[in-house]
Amino acid sequence: MAQTQTSGLKQTRRAVLVADKIADTVITIGGVLVIAAVLGMMVFLVSEAIPLFKGGRVAAYSHYTVKKADSPVAGLSVDEFKTIAARVNRSGQVTAWHAPTGAPIKSPSFDLEHKQVTASAQAIDSRYMAFGFADGAVRFATIEPKTEVMNRRDLPSGLKTLDERDSTDGTTVYSLIPGNQIRKTWIELQLEEAIAMSPSARPIVAMDYRFSRFGERPTKALAAIDDQGAGTLLRAESKLNLFTGQVKTDVQKTDLPPLKNGVNIQHALVNELASSVYFAEKSGKVYRFNTRDVSDIRLAETTKVTPDSVDLNVFGYLAGEGSVVVGGSDGSVSIFFLLRRDGATTADGSMLVKTRAFEPQPSAVVAFSPGQQSKMFATADVAGGVWVRYGTSTNTLVKVKRSTVDSKSSERILLSPRSDGLLSMNATGAADLWELDIPHPESSLRTLFGRVWYEDYPEPSYTWQSTGATDAFEPKLSLAPLIFGTLKATFYSLLFAIPIALLAAIYTSEFVSPDVRGKIKPVIEVMASVPSVVLGFVAALVLAPVVENWIAAVLLAFVALPCSLIVAAYLWQLLPPPLALRIQGLPKLTIFFVVVLTGAYAAYWLGPTFERLFFDGNFKAWANGDRGGGAPFHFMMALPVVAIGVGAVVSRFFGARFSAYMKTLHPLNAAALDLARWLGIAAATIVISFVLAAGLQCLGFDPRGGFVGTYVQRNTLNVGFAMGFAVIPIIYTLAEDALNAVPEHLRAASLACGATVWQTAIWIILPTAVSGVFSAVMIGMGRAVGETMIVVMAAGNTPLMDMNIFNGLRALSANIAVELPEAPKDGTLYRVLFLTGLVLFAMTFVINTVAEIVRLRFRKRSMQL
Amino acid sequence: MRESGNGETVYHAKQGPEGSLLTIEDFSLWYSGKQALFDVSMQVEKGFVTALIGPSGCGKSTLLRAINRMNDLIAGLRTRGRILLGDTDIYNPSVDVIALRKAMGMVFQKPNPFPMSIAANVIYPLRVDGVRDKSILRETVERALRQAALWDEVKDRLQDNALGLSGGQQQRLCIARAIAADPDVLLMDEPCSALDPVATGKIEDLIDDLRGRYTIIIVTHNMQQAARVSDNTAFMYLGALIECGETSTIFTNPKVKKTMEYVTGRFG
Repeated sequence: MAQTQTSGLKQTRRAVLVADKIADTVITIGGVLVIAAVLGMMVFLVSEAIPLFKGGRVAAYSHYTVKKADSPVAGLSVDEFKTIAARVNRSGQVTAWHAPTGAPIKSPSFDLEHKQVTASAQAIDSRYMAFGFADGAVRFATIEPKTEVMNRRDLPSGLKTLDERDSTDGTTVYSLIPGNQIRKTWIELQLEEAIAMSPSARPIVAMDYRFSRFGERPTKALAAIDDQGAGTLLRAESKLNLFTGQVKTDVQKTDLPPLKNGVNIQHALVNELASSVYFAEKSGKVYRFNTRDVSDIRLAETTKVTPDSVDLNVFGYLAGEGSVVVGGSDGSVSIFFLLRRDGATTADGSMLVKTRAFEPQPSAVVAFSPGQQSKMFATADVAGGVWVRYGTSTNTLVKVKRSTVDSKSSERILLSPRSDGLLSMNATGAADLWELDIPHPESSLRTLFGRVWYEDYPEPSYTWQSTGATDAFEPKLSLAPLIFGTLKATFYSLLFAIPIALLAAIYTSEFVSPDVRGKIKPVIEVMASVPSVVLGFVAALVLAPVVENWIAAVLLAFVALPCSLIVAAYLWQLLPPPLALRIQGLPKLTIFFVVVLTGAYAAYWLGPTFERLFFDGNFKAWANGDRGGGAPFHFMMALPVVAIGVGAVVSRFFGARFSAYMKTLHPLNAAALDLARWLGIAAATIVISFVLAAGLQCLGFDPRGGFVGTYVQRNTLNVGFAMGFAVIPIIYTLAEDALNAVPEHLRAASLACGATVWQTAIWIILPTAVSGVFSAVMIGMGRAVGETMIVVMAAGNTPLMDMNIFNGLRALSANIAVELPEAPKDGTLYRVLFLTGLVLFAMTFVINTVAEIVRLRFRKRSMQL
Repeated sequence: MRESGNGETVYHAKQGPEGSLLTIEDFSLWYSGKQALFDVSMQVEKGFVTALIGPSGCGKSTLLRAINRMNDLIAGLRTRGRILLGDTDIYNPSVDVIALRKAMGMVFQKPNPFPMSIAANVIYPLRVDGVRDKSILRETVERALRQAALWDEVKDRLQDNALGLSGGQQQRLCIARAIAADPDVLLMDEPCSALDPVATGKIEDLIDDLRGRYTIIIVTHNMQQAARVSDNTAFMYLGALIECGETSTIFTNPKVKKTMEYVTGRFG
């Protein structure tokens, strides 16, 4: 029995089974690969961006003891490659050693002629030093690690090996470098003649030295103060005569107004331009001289930078000289900016403002070393902790501990020239060397997304400025203006696209016959296939100048086109029904185009008049805020809102009575009455808008500075137009599908209830399809967020944060395209661009996910219908 | 008994005491060139229930939809002849279609409440007419739902979504919606075809209740239903009206052989 049953079933053919199996496998593999590719992309973006948020680490550490110093340490020096380190003592003695191992290297010393050194200074570039003497004189010195690359063949014999890379002949270190070459490193010293600084030849107690090159001219700035409080500023500029080869040095020495007797100055500070000089007491009291004009030098400000009973132990500039680092005996570290402030009580209107506070160290801060190229710096405390920090982000990058702690706190630290090493040394000769690996010190969550108070900025701000003209330039990498720019471009383009796309979708799905719909829809979908680079190009090179030329007409068109269409629709209603029926179809479409063209021409023709009446004759000057008031613009903005309000009020309170009365009249009289009602509403709208606008102006509201403002040719209005063009087809086609998916029986039910097509569309179809329409808008938004070429070309790429529609913007996507050539591989900018991509990815992902969730909900709901 | 095919309608409908409300005169209809109705002439008596029966595709739904011009949406529609409501020709170009539809309630095959609250469904015809008076709307909800025999079941959840009702309840809600604006005519297009027998019974009782108050035209496939609820029955075949007469006559003693074959289940 069972036998006959099975044999009764027809066997599925083997080929069918195999084909099914193959298809199953291929599709599965393909699907998994697609998911893996998307995930892989995200993982890649994340992995490229992650190092931005990591601090630093110590790559290698060595410690050793070198010869004990015969006098206090005046400065440390190390070369770019951390081959030779040297210590300069106040006696002029120079002790050099092989930095990684501590093996002594012979070096000459400064011959200071046994004069007593009472102060010393070292520029941010640690090669340049200065000694101040008890007789009030100052001598400039240079301790320069010289390097030279040579062929390995020329390596002298009989060298003593230091480590696997280096060997020495006693005074010079030979390092083996890639390419089978040898780098020679040795120390050269230079000492200049003494210059008398103290006017009364008193001992120098504090001084600061800056060395810079302005247009290849070595320029020195030095501020010194003697024990009686008399400060002197020196500025020396050396010029090389290209014909004779002679170096001529201009020295300009200026005495500063003396501080009152009895001050106990410990710290001095001067900038490269010698335009401001600070002297600070141990108590934290700071005297600031404004020396911009040497003929009119005055004590500009006296302030206190540490709290009471906290000693000022560290007082120095970061590279770029915008930040003054203050370290206190309580372990606190903070940064002050010299800022121009309204209402400052100082003589020159600027004042020292504390802008950043750093993580405090557990004990008194005693030493400080600024990085030479960035805002990185190191501070050491008395208990042996050495912390590497970053000025802008206030992050602590690396914390290390010294091997020995000198009770006399004669500690000196030095960040190597490339900020990739940290040398610590005290008078006993105990030294520590840390190799640092800090690839992206300047980036942190706060600098990338938050408000940061950059040097020379009056207040914290979101700033993107990745490259600058000078070496001291600090990249400002806040993504906030870019995210803002993306959202701004999206907002304005959707403001333009959504009404058009949705009305078009409602029109084709509800108002026209399926035949016409079948023709219109593909045409609009073809719009989506226009490459966005073409749209951007047209927007930037054609649209932008046209809009700029005819800006008043363009603005007016926003009013004129809808108005002319409404008037035309109204007149259409007045046509006798047989005539209206006869010219349905093509003639009606032609009339429609004529109306639109007429509206456009009216806008063009009335543009100048409109500009004269509303914007004082010149829109751009008005937008700048140079002329005219805000009232006309308020009036224009208020018009549509007030019109809707007045219309609603009238129909709410008089609508029923009015239509009842209309029914008793002859159709022609009723039409005339209806027209009169419309005119009445229009008049009331104009009057109310005018009163409202005047009131707003009286209250001091001015639209400029908000959504309107300074007019720039490459502006968001153009982006809105061009991107609208790209987004409209997407929103249109998806929304149209959603509207069309509303079951026909609902439409029939509504129409059978006596609803008009418009009522059906608004009250039944749109609410039923709302999630589909919403997801259409979201997908359009996703497109706008990710759009690149249009914003690159038409938006002006100015990373600003204002809502002004007449100003440019820089979007995340455009930023990647624009900055890519500037970003060396694995640099901070490079990784920040990946982060930008990740943020963009996240934004579009969120938007599309929301759209998808809503769409699924919609599908579930529409299945009930 | 006559053979069909001579194009003449055999007409022996019962006259109502209030006369006829709708007069269909030689009405023909084409969908993009294809003729769907052939010279249909009949009268619909005021206050009566008139059933349209016939095999699938015979044009009974088309005729029903022609009465409130729901066919207008179809492209390539052409008509000839007249349909008079009172003494207005509803196909006159000057006729306000919206007003016409407001004068006729319609119930469809499948219950099609709007995805909104029960009360909002009922007052929708008033809302599109611009009625905003709360008390009128409240009264209408109650009256229409009572007339549709739904009030007791839903009075405590008028604000609930109408899609939460059962199929039969939904269809009664649609009837309530159709009569909310107090129309002259109620058009029912196979109102019970998607319902179970119990719900069908309720709808039939309801139609019986509404008899006299509204002029009802009902399209049905169910001949027992037509026999149960209608006063007059019109039998259509291939777009033509074959026989129109008193229901009892049509089902017991039809004058045309085709009608006989259909009502006895020989085809259909």
